[in-house]
Amino acid sequence: MAEMWITMGPQHPMTHGLWTLRVKVDGETVTDTEAELGYIHRGVEKICESRDFTQITPYCDRLCYVSAMTWAHSYIMAAEDLLEAEVPERAEYIRLMAAEIQRLASHLMWLGAFGPDIGNLTLMTWCLRDREMFLDLLQELGGSRMHYNFPRVGGVKRDIPIGWADRLRAKIKLFEHRIDEYEMLLDESTIWLVRLQGVGYATAEDQLNEGVSGPNIRAAGVNTDARWTNPYSVYDQVDWEPAVEKPTSVKGADCYDRYRVRMEEMRQSCRMILDAIEKIPGGSNTHYSPGDEMILTKAPTRAPEGATGTSTYECTRGVSQFYLQGGGDGRGKHPYRVSIRSPMFITIPYVAKTMIGYKVADIPAIMGSFDPCIGETDR
Amino acid sequence: MGTTITAKQNSKAASAAVSAVNDRFSDAGIVAEVIAHSAGKKYEFVRITCAPAQWRALAKWLASEAGVNYCGMITGTHFPEGPSERGWEVAVHLYRWPIANVAPHTCTIHVGEKLTGDDIPIEYEVFIPIEKTESPSVPSVQDIWGGADWNEKETWDLVGIDFEGHVNMHRVLNPHDSPDEFHPLQRQHKIRYHDFNEMYDDPQGFGRKPVDEGRVK
Amino acid sequence: MNDWLGLHDFIFYRTRELCWWAFEGTFLESSSNDVAFFIHTLLTCLITFGGIMISMFMILWIERKFYARVNDRRGATTALRSLWVGENGVTAGEWWNMIPYGLGKPVGAINGWLNRVAGNDGHQQEMVNRVGNRSWYGVSIFPGFFQNLADGMKFLIKEHMVPNRADKVIFELAPFLVISSTVMILGMIPLSSGIYGANPELSVLFAFAIFGIAPLGVFFAGWSSNNKYTLLGGIRSAAQLTAYEIPLLLSILGVCIMAGSFNFLEIVHFQHSSGVWLLFLMPLGAVLFLVSMIAEVERIPFDMPEAEAELVEGWWTEYGGMRFGLLFAAEYMRVYAASILFAHFFLGGWHSPFAGLIPGGPLIPGVIWTLLKAWLIFTVVFVWARTALPRIRTDQILEFGWRMLLPLSVIQVALAIVYRIYLFDASALNDSTSGGWAWDAGLFPWAVPVLTTVFWLALFLVFMNDEDDTEDMERMYHVQTLTPAGTHTAGTE
Repeated sequence: MAEMWITMGPQHPMTHGLWTLRVKVDGETVTDTEAELGYIHRGVEKICESRDFTQITPYCDRLCYVSAMTWAHSYIMAAEDLLEAEVPERAEYIRLMAAEIQRLASHLMWLGAFGPDIGNLTLMTWCLRDREMFLDLLQELGGSRMHYNFPRVGGVKRDIPIGWADRLRAKIKLFEHRIDEYEMLLDESTIWLVRLQGVGYATAEDQLNEGVSGPNIRAAGVNTDARWTNPYSVYDQVDWEPAVEKPTSVKGADCYDRYRVRMEEMRQSCRMILDAIEKIPGGSNTHYSPGDEMILTKAPTRAPEGATGTSTYECTRGVSQFYLQGGGDGRGKHPYRVSIRSPMFITIPYVAKTMIGYKVADIPAIMGSFDPCIGETDR
Repeated sequence: MGTTITAKQNSKAASAAVSAVNDRFSDAGIVAEVIAHSAGKKYEFVRITCAPAQWRALAKWLASEAGVNYCGMITGTHFPEGPSERGWEVAVHLYRWPIANVAPHTCTIHVGEKLTGDDIPIEYEVFIPIEKTESPSVPSVQDIWGGADWNEKETWDLVGIDFEGHVNMHRVLNPHDSPDEFHPLQRQHKIRYHDFNEMYDDPQGFGRKPVDEGRVK
Repeated sequence: MNDWLGLHDFIFYRTRELCWWAFEGTFLESSSNDVAFFIHTLLTCLITFGGIMISMFMILWIERKFYARVNDRRGATTALRSLWVGENGVTAGEWWNMIPYGLGKPVGAINGWLNRVAGNDGHQQEMVNRVGNRSWYGVSIFPGFFQNLADGMKFLIKEHMVPNRADKVIFELAPFLVISSTVMILGMIPLSSGIYGANPELSVLFAFAIFGIAPLGVFFAGWSSNNKYTLLGGIRSAAQLTAYEIPLLLSILGVCIMAGSFNFLEIVHFQHSSGVWLLFLMPLGAVLFLVSMIAEVERIPFDMPEAEAELVEGWWTEYGGMRFGLLFAAEYMRVYAASILFAHFFLGGWHSPFAGLIPGGPLIPGVIWTLLKAWLIFTVVFVWARTALPRIRTDQILEFGWRMLLPLSVIQVALAIVYRIYLFDASALNDSTSGGWAWDAGLFPWAVPVLTTVFWLALFLVFMNDEDDTEDMERMYHVQTLTPAGTHTAGTE
């Protein structure tokens, strides 16, 4: 049969966001692909040039809307580097817990979308229901379920409420059993294994050269994680290990390995959170009012021309970077340039290449296993 | 506790990297220095400033000799009001990470504190200032690091800096049919509202008068 | 033994009498038999078809409610009780205490155990229950039962679209093929020995010949819509349905060989007079029939042709309004037909269990037994598989059908022939309480079916547990890539 180009997107149930994947198929086999991004390019970098540093935080929440805490945290780290601000330790612990809870919620959203892609519709309800638990926790911190505007330059907006720690412990303990249930449903299902194993190979060095990072590399057998290679916050003081998975072939990690890495990451995040809530300075059941110096220091609001700030951050989908240059409008109240590096922007074209040679039915499996999020891709 | 890179390892690696670059390239005028972050753990990284003509040689050396295996971000900035030798600047962020392919059914568990020498992760920042010109350009490093590919496309698309030797350059974030010379992050393009109050006043600009021509609103 | 509710004969004789009485002495007297036959056929078809369609609401309701409850994890009997009450409140309450004489206590114990093992308890319930915690204001009788009726009415008022450059004739024709072939089968399937639309001597053969027309309609729909997605979906569907016709027909052939007839009524009658359900005489055939049927009706795990993730709706994508509604209904009609067929072929049709041993005839009309068995099979096999399993890729489906199901179904036919020739004893057939050849043949009562079932069950358990747990687990269905990852620049040749 002659080869034909099929356009998947921009409106398509599989694409996890608004982008187009054009595939050239020969029967059921994919022979070429082309990714077209930019449908929800909102010009965040340009807008941020006329906002001051506190006003930029909500924009960063909306970059990857599924994983807002981590993006806001990443930006705030770069802003603090630019403005030379200090952060109290309690605030660092709070940020760490918020980021890890957000990682759990994001991975649950990933699994809740990935399962139906493969055909297991039950996962959507299960994962989103469990994600509700974590959205409730984050709502208590940040005020809303998805876009929190939570970190501030020099600390956090609000302290953890009284009783939050008990709810957190109860929910995490319940969730650890839920992960067991997911694994029972999926890892013992031959059909799940048969769909995901042997599909979508990618080696560690290949991915690294192409700019892919995060869980996708850890699925290929190396435990590098920006939380320890470029250390930040208090990750060296909480008990955790990077989740890593042994690839099953010399061709690299397949979709099953990437799926298992994220399940293991969820377990590690639970471990981290339980440890952090015990170690938080000031106690887990005390509440300092907003602006108290335990959670927020007074930070400079102006950055001189020529100053720069960068952050290297392990986002849920890879390593994200912010690069800020000071000296913009308002005598330095606004940044001169905000540059955002999104892991998914680089990964999606790579994944489009990975799909070549497999079947059309493998496209959602491969794409879903890399966990795309178009909000951060298009900025 | 979680594994980490100690400050000692970090500064050892940074100074080793800087002296390697300086040994190789100082006579070409490329300057490398150790800079520390100003917040958080205040770790050090390597900042290199080089001219566009030297960028490719530096990149090749970094990739092959210094073990820089990851290209994170390539971005550009437009400085219309600044010194004439820095009308544009390309900022490249690179990393050296200890990642290598593993045999099937095995994995590599690095313990951060035990890494030595070239295995210690280190961050590189390369600034490439370009003189004031209507058509800035730097050589492309697409074939050295695959991660540079879409970063360069985005920089050209949004900022307008050309990358010589880049294969298959096309618009990535702007629509494919955007006008040829339209690169939104250049400073002459102003966004409609600087302040959100103006947005609520008249978001579509229907109240604009001829006297408002050229004004931000 | 024939069911006591013999509607077919009742209507036949009454209409005859009515027509003789009406036409006596008029010029139509000689054709009164033919008129009676016409009226009789009309009535019996209406009753059969109407009965199946009305009871099909039950299938749709079970699917929606059971499926949602399995997804929901709200607690064991909350899930079940909401089937007839709705979602009032968070838990079911201790309803078992209201059963008189304390008979409900074991239910309470089972409920507690289920909730401990697989449900939510105490504060967990509140924590995870915020989603969907709606209460239902209204009458507590079968909430949601008539949802599909409302859906059908909605479909009727929707726009009727034909894509611009579609092949109009084939596009309009394809749904006809699919729906009409499905409905014709429903006319041929008896609901009991006295309720059926038509009963030709080779009814099984005829029914499955018609069943096999549907793939053609599917292929027409996929091709004519002028849409690459439907094309892919239609071709996948054609390949899959063709591949699974063969194991299906071979397993039915096995049934017919065992029963010695191609007629539905005779097959059910055979099960009764042998004293055993065919499920126990040919468990392999039953499983093959079920798996092939799931593939034939394109349900998860075999629903790749309409896989939402890639193909939006597969070959149905371009159909709107009532066409889509009828195609969707046709899929459920096929599922229902499959369930009723399974009930007839393997579960003894309209007979109550141990009908041979329980004297005095059944209290419940046979049609109720048929429907109950069909609903049970639907719930346990079709819906449960749909909730728990992902979908299999097309080439894996085809490999499975051709390489694994086909040889097994040939084995089953061979076994059926062996059983029929060597073990079957025609003189031992009887309709009385105990007996039948399956009872007598062998050392102890029911030796043959018990040994057969135990053997295949043991084989299944052995194979199920024979898994390689090491790291180098044998992976099925290896895929070769044409070009390795990372060597191709997208957008270039």
